[in-house]
Amino acid sequence: MKTWKKFAHINAKTVDEAASILGAGNAAMIAGGTDLLGTMRFEILPTYPEVLVNLKSIPGLDYIKEEGGTLKIGALTRLDDIAKSDLVRTRYTALAEGAHRTATPHIREMGTIGGNICQLNRCWYFRLPDNRFNCIRKGGKTCYAMSGDNRYHSIFGAVNYCLAVNPSDTAPALVAFNARIKTNKRLIEAEKFWTMAIPGSTVLAADEIVTEIQVPSPPAGSKSAFMKFAIRKSIDFPIVNCAAVIGAKAETARLCLNAVYNIPYRSIEAEDAIKGKAINEANADAAGAAAVASARSLPGERNKWKIPIAKAMVKRAILACA
Amino acid sequence: MGVPALGSLPSTAEATPRGTELDSGTARTVPPSEDLKTAGDMRTIELTVNGGKYRVSIEPHWSLRQLLRDQLGFTSPKDWCGGLGACGSCTVIMNGRPVLSCLTLACECDGAVIETAEGIAKAKHPIIQAYINNNAFQCGYCTPGFVCTAKALLDRNKNPTEGDIRDALGGNLCRCGTYQRHPPAVLEAARILNRKA
Repeated sequence: MKTWKKFAHINAKTVDEAASILGAGNAAMIAGGTDLLGTMRFEILPTYPEVLVNLKSIPGLDYIKEEGGTLKIGALTRLDDIAKSDLVRTRYTALAEGAHRTATPHIREMGTIGGNICQLNRCWYFRLPDNRFNCIRKGGKTCYAMSGDNRYHSIFGAVNYCLAVNPSDTAPALVAFNARIKTNKRLIEAEKFWTMAIPGSTVLAADEIVTEIQVPSPPAGSKSAFMKFAIRKSIDFPIVNCAAVIGAKAETARLCLNAVYNIPYRSIEAEDAIKGKAINEANADAAGAAAVASARSLPGERNKWKIPIAKAMVKRAILACA
Repeated sequence: MGVPALGSLPSTAEATPRGTELDSGTARTVPPSEDLKTAGDMRTIELTVNGGKYRVSIEPHWSLRQLLRDQLGFTSPKDWCGGLGACGSCTVIMNGRPVLSCLTLACECDGAVIETAEGIAKAKHPIIQAYINNNAFQCGYCTPGFVCTAKALLDRNKNPTEGDIRDALGGNLCRCGTYQRHPPAVLEAARILNRKA
């Protein structure tokens, strides 16, 4: 097994202390560590952090509570605890199901929701060990997936020429619920949280730390659902996933796909197609078609198969809200 | 040849570990060996493994799996996927949660209570005999990971359904393909545990 190169390790006591260390130089923060330690072990990035700042030693960031009509989840809450929480399961079904379908039981026991939404995008050129492909996402000049094997890549085009997809299973649920993400500096709408950054995946500054996820209560009578397509039911990252939050009589609808684009992809076309309509097979199918109307396969059509899957995921997520 | 009885199972926990086992309550420190002294940023942590208290000197970049195997001599956490977190073979129970010891930093385990397959076998937990009775392994390489995951499930859920078991063991891979055997084995262990209680 590859061992890690040396680094220093600091147990932070407060968020401010962690932020000041992160701002001081080549440092990375570690919570569950399941994504970070993998990227470090296989040295997929051109840089290697000199210091790891442990966030798990900060007290008071592990909670699930409902306050004033808002679900508040501490950033250090393990995915498994979210998936098993009765409160989340009954009122925020799509989020619980998204957390439950993430990776493996072990990784859900280790991984936190803060880390899940901040994980790096997935692309096998980007993630190949020892930085073999110094691609655009790492500050290089080429996207190797564009002309290479891109069967798992974006179907809604590239952002700054990068085709890697965001693999988070909780992210689409957070976008569909119109959640807000609280950091030590600001409150960010879930829809604006992800971006094409190098090499990150979020709008966060180097010394910015997610502290809380705030999910407003869905409108009365609404239902939510999460659908995921992956090769294996457990372990695998999504090929396509989709979360839907649909109000009573479909007066409101929010739909978000993930693993189809650089960032979670909110499908306003599908929302418009289902709003105010009866939730049935035909209407759900039409919404699915609307969601992928602007989807395009990449040259070579290796990722063409993802388009009908995305359509089916949207359709099934809507039908599950009936 | 019948099924071997529990008592005849070899237990690597019997081997003398290279770390410092402390009598419970007392703190005895053994200086690190010469090669460890020269390394920078050493630190000392205390942790409980299979009921024994250990004080060990470690470096920040060591994994828990490295600490358990190379320092303490508990060889049940296996390496299969190379540290991707994709196979579950290195599973240990840390503070009641089944976790991957290859993706856990040793320096973050200060004060942790850890249980490995050696400890589960030594405590004569019925899951071990249930695995033998149900032939829930072939080559046995993945078995310590399965046993730890299953034991963590039984600790939390006294009456798991077959669905619960399949769900909980979803992160453990078995190249021999013994998957069908695991739910009956865990169900049998749950029945024995409930009868005892």
